[in-house]
Amino acid sequence: MITFEKVIKEYNGGQKSYRALDDINLEIKDGEFVSIIGPSGAGKSTLLKMLIREEVPSGGQITVDNINVPELTDSEVPYLRRKIGTIFQDFKLLTNKTSFENVAFALEVVGADEEQIKTDVPKVLRIVGMDEKFENFPHQLSGGERQRIAIARALIHRPKILLADEPTGNLDLLNTFDVIKLLMKINEFGTTVVLASHDREVVNAVGQRVITMDKGKVVKDQEQGKYTI
Amino acid sequence: MKPTKKNLMRVIEVGWINFKRNSWLAFGTIGIMVLTLLIFVGLVAFNIVSRTTIASLEEKVDITAYLKTNVSDDQASEIVNELENLPEISYVNYVSREEALEEFKKRHADEELVQQALLELGENPLQASLEIKAGETAQYASLVSFIEKSDFSNLIDKIDFYENSTVISRIQKISSGLRVGGILVTLILSLIAVLVTFNTIRLTIYSQKQEIEIMRLVGASNWHIRGPFVVEGALYGIIAGLAVLIIFYPMVYLVSPRVQSFIPSMDLANYFSNFFGQMGLLVLGSGIALGVVSSVIAVRRYLKI
Repeated sequence: MITFEKVIKEYNGGQKSYRALDDINLEIKDGEFVSIIGPSGAGKSTLLKMLIREEVPSGGQITVDNINVPELTDSEVPYLRRKIGTIFQDFKLLTNKTSFENVAFALEVVGADEEQIKTDVPKVLRIVGMDEKFENFPHQLSGGERQRIAIARALIHRPKILLADEPTGNLDLLNTFDVIKLLMKINEFGTTVVLASHDREVVNAVGQRVITMDKGKVVKDQEQGKYTI
Repeated sequence: MKPTKKNLMRVIEVGWINFKRNSWLAFGTIGIMVLTLLIFVGLVAFNIVSRTTIASLEEKVDITAYLKTNVSDDQASEIVNELENLPEISYVNYVSREEALEEFKKRHADEELVQQALLELGENPLQASLEIKAGETAQYASLVSFIEKSDFSNLIDKIDFYENSTVISRIQKISSGLRVGGILVTLILSLIAVLVTFNTIRLTIYSQKQEIEIMRLVGASNWHIRGPFVVEGALYGIIAGLAVLIIFYPMVYLVSPRVQSFIPSMDLANYFSNFFGQMGLLVLGSGIALGVVSSVIAVRRYLKI
């Protein structure tokens, strides 16, 4: 379960400070598939970054599985991040590691042994349709392929929560729907999925709870929503 | 993740793989470290050369106290005993009149004129003397004034200190100058070398800043991220250290005969072969320490996210 309570995020730009998030109150239950939509600058990314403590709120409370996120110390942060899988718009793959090693890294991080890595990584790479390019480096892969590797990395340690920040922003239509299908499948297995997107097609294809943001505020929150901006 | 033995093996393996994949970058960093370590061993060699030079100069310094001709051997040995009790004195040698004559004859064996003059003189014209060496060059002046004020001063004809005193004080100045200069040069050059290496490693790691941040975002602990970088830093140090030993030793063997022709008591080749183990440890040790410490400090900056 994820909760946001009166969350504010302010950035200081010269004399003017501006609010990226303004009084956010949300509750996301286990196993939900939530799409967060809105134009660029609405605060979608900032909201997701708060959940893995890439950003710290200027005010308010955030909890993930009863962990008080803003209160975590630097050394406790890795434990929070291991519960969550994250997919980024720019993939964020490790450039000097192969596909296999990139996915294996997320398992090494949680302390898995060599055996588990050898059996699990190929399995997950197969699930995302990347069973042939184990030994390739990210720069040898297409955008779609890189995002599959990133998804595999986000899934490999079986997180309870999956965050996807514009996962299809750099992909063509075909790859986009493959990725969305993958996310839906993951959700069916019980993982909470939070998807941030400004892509109408994507959100409508999912057809589940839609939270609409604009200028740092939640303006609409509908079960079974559609993209309506 | 806790630093267990298995994880340690993995960290070392990853460090090694990263090292191979970053070989282009590593090559540059190692090059800088080789230069740094060469400066180190150069300084070590410089300090050894200057210390041996000083020692060989000081070795040559002594004073001679000439005894009056009426002083008996017994009186002389009493003086020797008394002098030997002084802590400042490292060595006293009594040369009797007969020994002095023998020595004189030997030295002038080829010169007939001198031999003839001696024969004609009929008696031994030479004085008995005491050759005295102090532990430190600076102590000669006080030693001489001690002897002049002592009970046996009336048995002593003259001391040749005053003729030698300018030479002695000059040698003393040179040796203390070399000592202080050596320490200063070593400190300054070492500092420069360390800073250059540190900054090079910092740039190497800066180029992987994003990687470090990604690792943090995926949930890696700081230990897990830092480990491979530390291993990489240590590898830089080991390789640079080996390269330095490979460059330095042939150079020493090449230069050694030339140095020895200036200062005969200095056999650099022999000296450095005797201390090969220590030199190896020093070079590799400082290489590894430089690599590891620089890596730890440089990575820390990017672990904040």
